[in-house]
Formats: sequence, C-alpha cells, structure tokens
Amino acid sequence: MAVSAVHLESDAFLVCMNHALSTEKEEVMGLCIGEVDTNRIVHIHSVIILRRSDKRKDRVEISPEQLSAASTEAEISFNFTHRLAEMTGRPVRVVGWYHSHPHITVWPSHVDVRTQAMYQMMDQGFVGLIFSCFIEDKNTKTGRVLYTCFQSVQAQKGSEYERIEIPIHVVPHEAIGKVCLESAVELPRILCQEEQDTYRRIHSLTHLDPITKIHNGSVFTKNLCSQMSAVSGPLLQWLEDRLEQNKQSIVELQKEKERLIQELASL
Amino acid sequence: MEGFLLGEVRQEETLSISDSQISSSEFLHIVEVHNHEPCAQLFSFYDYAGKVNEENLNRILKDRRKNVIGWYRFRRNTQQQMSFREQVIHKQLTNILGIPDLVFLLFSFISTANSSTHALEYVLFRPNRSRYNQRISLSIPNLGNTSQQEYKVSSVPNTSKNYASVIKEHGAEFFDKDGVIKDIRAIFQVYSALQDKVQAVCAEVDQSERVKEKIQEEVKKLKEEISLRKRITAAEERRHQESLNTENHSLQDDSALSDSSSPPSLTRVLLQSPPLEVSLDWPPNSTALPLYPAAPPPAPPSAILLPRPQAVGSPGHPSPGLGLGNGDGSSSDSLNRQAIGQEDQLEEEEEEEEEDEDEDSSEYENLVSERLQSPSLTDTAVSLGRPAALWPDGDTHSSGGSS
Repeated sequence: MAVSAVHLESDAFLVCMNHALSTEKEEVMGLCIGEVDTNRIVHIHSVIILRRSDKRKDRVEISPEQLSAASTEAEISFNFTHRLAEMTGRPVRVVGWYHSHPHITVWPSHVDVRTQAMYQMMDQGFVGLIFSCFIEDKNTKTGRVLYTCFQSVQAQKGSEYERIEIPIHVVPHEAIGKVCLESAVELPRILCQEEQDTYRRIHSLTHLDPITKIHNGSVFTKNLCSQMSAVSGPLLQWLEDRLEQNKQSIVELQKEKERLIQELASL
Repeated sequence: MEGFLLGEVRQEETLSISDSQISSSEFLHIVEVHNHEPCAQLFSFYDYAGKVNEENLNRILKDRRKNVIGWYRFRRNTQQQMSFREQVIHKQLTNILGIPDLVFLLFSFISTANSSTHALEYVLFRPNRSRYNQRISLSIPNLGNTSQQEYKVSSVPNTSKNYASVIKEHGAEFFDKDGVIKDIRAIFQVYSALQDKVQAVCAEVDQSERVKEKIQEEVKKLKEEISLRKRITAAEERRHQESLNTENHSLQDDSALSDSSSPPSLTRVLLQSPPLEVSLDWPPNSTALPLYPAAPPPAPPSAILLPRPQAVGSPGHPSPGLGLGNGDGSSSDSLNRQAIGQEDQLEEEEEEEEEDEDEDSSEYENLVSERLQSPSLTDTAVSLGRPAALWPDGDTHSSGGSS
C-alpha cells in the first residue's frame, strides 16, 4: 500500500538542503532514516549522505543491491553510533532516499521512477525525495528551491511505472538534533574520501611521467581546496554562528525562566 | 519571519579584451551575504504603522550593526513584491543604518494542493535604485564541478631522452622519499586540521542545542503551570460570580486567557471562539493544556492559549481533522503552515499581521454558531475553563471543573 504522508523533521531537512546546495554540477544522494507509523506516515528524523562510487553528472542512483547493502551498513553503524534505538525505544531504519536535481525540474525522471519502483520491491513503504536547486528565472531574477516526495506505481502489469505524489510536511524543530549535526559534518569528510580514492587509483598507474604525476597532484590539491572553501569553510562559519545564536538564546531563556519562576511564586 | 543580512559589499573589476585590442574593464558590484541575524519575532524593531524603532534595532543588532547589508522577510503564498509597509521600513532602515544600497531579500513559499511538492522562492531587491534595476541575481557558491575528469590517466607520449631526464631531475623536488607528491601531504594536513575544527565546534553546538532545549522545556513547563493556576483561579472566580447571578464575565476571562503582551484588540477577537483544534482533538478529561496536536507554535510563547485564526483549513469552516495529507489544499492548512522548519515559528503571526482583523471576527462568529450544534465539543471546551460567554444565549454549562 502506498504511504499516506511523509513527515520530515526540520533538522534532517536542513542536512538535505545543505547537501543538495553543495554542488550545482552533479546530483547528490543520500538515505533517509526513520520509521513508519501505523497510519502509514513515514517519519524521517535524520539522513545519511552517501558516497558515490560512480559520479556521473546526470545520474546518481545506485542499484537496489547496492542500496540494500548501503542501508544495512548505514542502519548498523547508525544505530551503533547514535544508539538511536535506545534513545527512542524503537529501531530505526532506512525509509527512503533523496537526491538532488541541480538546474533541473524537481519531477523525477523516468530513470528515477524506475529506480524508485525497484527500491519499493524491497520495501513497499520506501519513499523518494527530490530537491531541485540552483534554479533561477532570468526574467524575474527569482531563485527557487523545490522539493517533492513520490513513490512509483505500475498502472497494470507490464506497463510503464508512473510516479504518485506523496504529501510531505517539514516538522518544525527548534533545536538541531545531534544526529543531524553529525550527518552535516560528514559531508566534507565524504568528499575528501572520494577524492582520495580517485587519486589513489590514478596514482597507482605506474606509466605516468613525473610531469603528469605533478599535474595530478595539483588536481588533488585544487579539488581539496575547492572542498574546503565551498563546503568545510561555510559549514564551520555556520556552526560558529549557530553557537553564538544559541548562547544568546540561552541567556535570554534563563532570564525568562527566572521571571516565570517569580511569577509562579507570586500566584 | 524576518531578520538582517550581514556581509560585505565590494566592487570587482573585470577585465575584458575586445576585438579592438583595447582592454576594457567593468566594475561589478558584488554584495556578499555572510550570515544572517534572525529576529526572534515580527514587529521587533518596527510597529504596525511601519515606524522603525532605532533603540530596538540596536538591541537586536548590537555590534553587528556595522556588518548589515540588508534585511530579509519570509512570507507564504504572496507575490514577489515588496509590500507597502516593507518599503516604508526599508527607507527608514536605509537612513538609520546609513546604507545607501541596502538590499531586501524576500522569501516566498508555495505548495501544491496535496502538499507533495513545495517551492521556496527568493528574490533580492535593491529598492533604493531605479525602478527598472531593482532585482539582483543571488548566486550560491558551491563546489561546482568536482568531477575527477581533470586527472590525467596517461601521459602525452614523448620519446625525447632530454625531456625525460630534465623533468625527472627537477621534478624530483615535488616528491618526497616515498614517491608521494609533497603537496598532497601538505594540503591533506590543512584539510585534516579543518575537519578536526569542524568536529570540535560541532560538538560545542550540539551541547548548546541540548542546553537550549532543556531550558526551553523548563520555560514551557513554567508557563503551563502559570496558565493552569490562572485558569483555576479564573474558574473559581467565575463559579463565584455565577452563584451571584451576574453576567459579568469579560474581565476575569481576559485575565485568565489573555497575554498582556499581545495587542488588546487581537486578544478580544480571538477570545470569541473556542480554540478549534482543542475542541476537536482534545480528550475531554485531559489534564494537559491546549497544546496543538502537531508541533506547538514556539512563538510567541505566551500566546500558546490563544486560538490560531486559521489553524484549521480554509476560513469559515473547521477541517474534519488534523490528519496529515487530508487533501485540504488550502494555503491555510495548519500542518502546511507549521511545516517548513524552525524558521517558520512566526508564520502564524505573519498571517495575523497581514489580514484584516475585521474579517477574522466575522469568521469567528460563523464558527461560534457551528460550535453550538455540537454539544460534546462545547462540553469539552467548557471543561477547559472557557468562559460561558462564548454562547450568545447566555447558557451556563455546568463545568466539569477545570483540570
């Protein structure tokens, strides 16, 4: 049966947006972690940024087998690292996937719909989220960021898969959860690992002359610099600003708390 | 929801060489937004007439005032135009802050009827410039292309022995004793140190979030306790009044339910109807307070008891339930309004601000008459200590006692 709605916690939403906005030249992808309740509502409270072994500009999906393996690994390490099961009293698992559509319409492509259909074969409640960004209407100079939620359905056996729209609501959260903070700071680490892996493969080619090796070393340096200035740097800045804002809020909240204690005492 | 944009404005010269071989340069005006200073609530530095209060402004900005380059606003389902009040405020901010080219960033949020797809639009205005040149493109710096296509997998073939020996001898500078390019190690160290710092600050942020959450919880409980006490007192006083056979209700009710900091007229309008969500979803014998079934509106905190004007579906009729995905595509679907994350805490205030309050009261009158048709709901409402005055015929319902 189709899922009735998706509730995405706002801090998880933040991590997805941050991830989607990290690059306009490629699609990025991740997994959604959470649970499905008895009303068939999928609750997503965190996400895992996925590494891509095959980065192509126009495609990002991984095979269902890869997804399954990644999910299992993610769930195990996730539950272990965050002891989410302890905290919430229930196991949490991968309930969906998200990916970005930079400069492209938010609607899932045929490939996306088929991929989603395959994932649904493993898990009927699996949902797909798409974030469309870096869209600008040149005439009105209006920028746009969109997100949508969908599943796939087959009208009849053997016919093409079609998408079905699933209502998605972002659930407000005043604070950012620990799990989401940690997911957010994984991004630079993942990018660096991807770069290292690529470089290692290139480096192992023995027939390259010194000039070419130096060149490749420079490419690595350049790419890492790019990651630091476009991802790590802004992330650090945002964290510092958030810390500052929290400190201010805490001071003000303390004052309010004392005021309320006094008011309560006077009643 | 609104706040200030902090950053830097600079000019960049771009050189271009044209066919005529004369290099020409263009000056590009660049506005960099570094971060933002959110305002805790609307109207924090201006009033309903749009008059800016410099004192409040300074209190909000403090020493960040010198970094202000603009301000921003978030609205739902509105046109991408500056409202009149926004223009008025903008002019004053320009003068007070002394920033001739102050910018205004307008966010607008729209959703499809079934809430499956949502769009956040943003436009950056320079209202102080001529009418025809007001909008500027906003670009988001990002990684761009991180593809590995720039790595070379093979060298350009070369049989020259001189070439090979020169590059080997002088190129050796770049390699350490293990044959690894020195730069690689060096840059990796930089990255590593940076990532360590990111982790460290992240841990601090996490801790501060937890502390903040804890105090917010304590503040919430204190408020609940206070309003509970007030309602008990109010209910007792009312019982006393009822026993004296008077219909004088307005004062006690106001003190029980109103929040002194909200504008009096708004309070009066809202009190004319029971909180709809509460009536529909609240278990009759609950001892808890009327918090919303979905996430409670975090701000303004003291207004938690005030019914939200359009919290249940389109104006004029309550929605059948607050089930999500109820297909109610109206823009005022409660969950839709509460959706979208922490930034939207004040979205409801936004609605109140922008709507004609007269309209609201007429809606409430309709709602009140509908309420009369469902006695179970009114009993529920009464058990929470609502004033008897809600029912125009003056019936006093036996109160089950407030919980």
